[in-house]
Amino acid sequence: MNKPAHTDRLFFLIHHPTLLRILLLSALTAGAGTALAAASFEALLADEANGADWLSYSGGYRSERFSPLTQINPATVADLKVIWAYQMQPTDMPGAGLQETTPLVAGEVMYLSESPSSVTALDVHSGRLLWHFAPDISEEVLHIGFPKVNRGVALLNDTVFIATLDARLFALDAGTGAVRWQTSVADNAVGFSLTLAPLVVKNLVIIGMSGAEAGVRAFIDAYDAETGKRVWRTYTVPAPGEPGSESWQGDSWQTGGGSTWLTGSYDPDLDLLYWTTGNPAPDWNGDLRPGDNLFTCSLLALDPATGRLRWHFQYTPHDTHDWDANQIPVLIDGNVEGRARKLVALANRNAFYYLVDRENGEFVHASPYSRQTWAAGIDDTGRPILLPDKEPSEEGTLVWPSLQGATNWFSPSYNPDTGQFFVANRRMGAVYYKADAEYEPGTPFLGGGEQALSGDEAAGAIVALNAFNGEQQWEFVLQSPPWSGVMATAGGLVFGSSNEGYFFALNAASGEPLWRFNTGAHIRTNPMGFAVDGNQRVAITGGQTLFVFGLQ
Amino acid sequence: MPSDCRSRYRRNFLLQALLLPLTLLACAAGVSNQPEPAAAAAASPIATMSSVDLGNGQRLFRVHCARCHGMQGNGGEGPSLRRAQLKHASDDESLFTVINEGIRGTGMPGTWAPNDDELWQIAGYVRSLGALPKQAMPGDPGAGALVYARSGCATCHISNGQGRGVGPELTEVGLRRNAEYLRRSLTNPDADAPMSSNQITGHINAFLTVRVVAADGEYEGLRIAEDDFSVQMRDISGAIRSFDKSKLLRYEKAFGHSLMPGYETTLSTTDADDLVSYLMNLKGTQ
Repeated sequence: MNKPAHTDRLFFLIHHPTLLRILLLSALTAGAGTALAAASFEALLADEANGADWLSYSGGYRSERFSPLTQINPATVADLKVIWAYQMQPTDMPGAGLQETTPLVAGEVMYLSESPSSVTALDVHSGRLLWHFAPDISEEVLHIGFPKVNRGVALLNDTVFIATLDARLFALDAGTGAVRWQTSVADNAVGFSLTLAPLVVKNLVIIGMSGAEAGVRAFIDAYDAETGKRVWRTYTVPAPGEPGSESWQGDSWQTGGGSTWLTGSYDPDLDLLYWTTGNPAPDWNGDLRPGDNLFTCSLLALDPATGRLRWHFQYTPHDTHDWDANQIPVLIDGNVEGRARKLVALANRNAFYYLVDRENGEFVHASPYSRQTWAAGIDDTGRPILLPDKEPSEEGTLVWPSLQGATNWFSPSYNPDTGQFFVANRRMGAVYYKADAEYEPGTPFLGGGEQALSGDEAAGAIVALNAFNGEQQWEFVLQSPPWSGVMATAGGLVFGSSNEGYFFALNAASGEPLWRFNTGAHIRTNPMGFAVDGNQRVAITGGQTLFVFGLQ
Repeated sequence: MPSDCRSRYRRNFLLQALLLPLTLLACAAGVSNQPEPAAAAAASPIATMSSVDLGNGQRLFRVHCARCHGMQGNGGEGPSLRRAQLKHASDDESLFTVINEGIRGTGMPGTWAPNDDELWQIAGYVRSLGALPKQAMPGDPGAGALVYARSGCATCHISNGQGRGVGPELTEVGLRRNAEYLRRSLTNPDADAPMSSNQITGHINAFLTVRVVAADGEYEGLRIAEDDFSVQMRDISGAIRSFDKSKLLRYEKAFGHSLMPGYETTLSTTDADDLVSYLMNLKGTQ
């Protein structure tokens, strides 16, 4: 059996010493009307056990996206109703308006991002707007390979951080939205862009880049939270002579991609930062970049103080299907084949579920969680055993999964009490084409494309896996391949959403649907949870509207 | 932006003049077949685009558009572009604007890099995907109108506001379908599976026949919408029904089975030619 990371979760876990201190401090300072303290590093460390707040993108450094609250459960969920809704601010930016944010909640305030790169603060009681910050972004902004989206903000003390589509990083005053500092991270004119929620570790704000579809050489950056000064930069594609450079030929490394566009995780005990990387460039024509193309489609373990690479694990060597590994790396502890291990669990876009030892990067397990037709399996070293004739071709090659993968950026969830891993799964094949690619800065560098199978030949599902062996426990089939994540709760529920606009609750033990609400628009966000005055809340955005649900 | 586009748009007339001889050749070869150019389209660079331009448009389309619209423009995450009428691009200038700037509130981004000439080439290629070759009518459309009335087509189709809406509306069917397709639809309705796209479901079978067995009886109809929990259909009488999928005893998608009867044996060859001609002439209300 698994060793649960933390058991006996109460509604308010005030036996937790750090949290108790924070709550007491909040109580003392709230009445006095003193400065807002959104989230100290100590509070971020305790985020997982803190059911009242949701202080970082995945609800804690382990990236479980798990709410420890139990008020909403299979016995009460039928009474779940909308408490308030918030309609996103209109924008004049052409092409903007797809909302992919995960809101954060710190005390009395909710912080969320809006497309293309705005930040909004709301009163958690009423949903009333407290402030809104909209950076001036040019209509000419490049976003090659993805829409004009933003996935959320980060908090540290009294500061909110937002990474913008035009590759800037802003620090805002949490009380007013005033800019404390801003910095230019990279050149948007060559295709660098930012869509992810930053991750704060100690005094550093850590971000990753989008841009592989424009042939950038991507990196992970850390900035001093106080000053905005860059502390380190680690490239995901090595220069000649650096470790891993033997996996590139000629100058191909200079346009090698390896984007870092999704928020990572952090283990405070090992003091290791875990970050995932995306596809090599060009996407579908691998002839231009022979070799394994390290460290693309990989999991990286970094020293958070220096950015130095400690180890890596590559999921898809020499990827030619755009199977980014930019999925959430979930830190889980438990027994595998009788041995207690600290692991990174990741449901990969390539349709395999992986476990990697998070102390040393050793491959532990892989098994398919969705239909795939490209590999006979994963060998003992973690390397896929390729099937013949599955490469993109001029005439087209049919392969499962599609380029959007068996899952994508939207978050999985892990229940540490039951050892269940939940993932929103896209079941779709595609015909992959290969074409010529010529690098020109600031233009698409793709080398082909795909024709996805049509709607009635595709489907989706919410899948429950045993986190320690990848075995499927149940599935809840969806009408179409989803673009939204899941959140499990200690109350025994899994919240998820569908393209058709439903926000729903499943019984975590069986997958049985227990409650649903039609938001009236497609859902492309992750659920999150918090509490107000002891009342559990669950939030999701459908279309342009954020809905907050509760029992009362 | 829009005024800027228009100024660059005007510059393209110089290009057009240079390309004119090529264009004539291309038209003679049947490469460019813009259906019924509207007044605005007469001034559009697309109307006089060469096969070289269209070839370049295809190359650019594969780089910039195929990721969502498919390598053949058949649709994927984005809608199929193989249609004469595009919802957000009623004329060529609006098509240019959509490609250049994207569509707000949807997954359609502006196209990043191309210059105006290249944007027009993409637009020209997109138009060519939906273009129907000009065809001679096989019969007499006037007589076909009588066949349409006599055969009871209006029992299931609306055309120019008249009839009952069960199957596809036919008001503009002449813009979308050629003689061959229309004839096949009459004689063998099961042969084609029309597709539709929307932002939520992407590319799905339109007018799909579905059959359900519910506690109170069996129902057959054309699917209007479907989600994880429910399905909505329109039955042969035009009535709309909604079912909770979890309460159904049976649910079947009848791929390859149209609810439309085949007219292969009931129409004479002359009647079929006339009816096809009548349908080819249905190009919308003025």
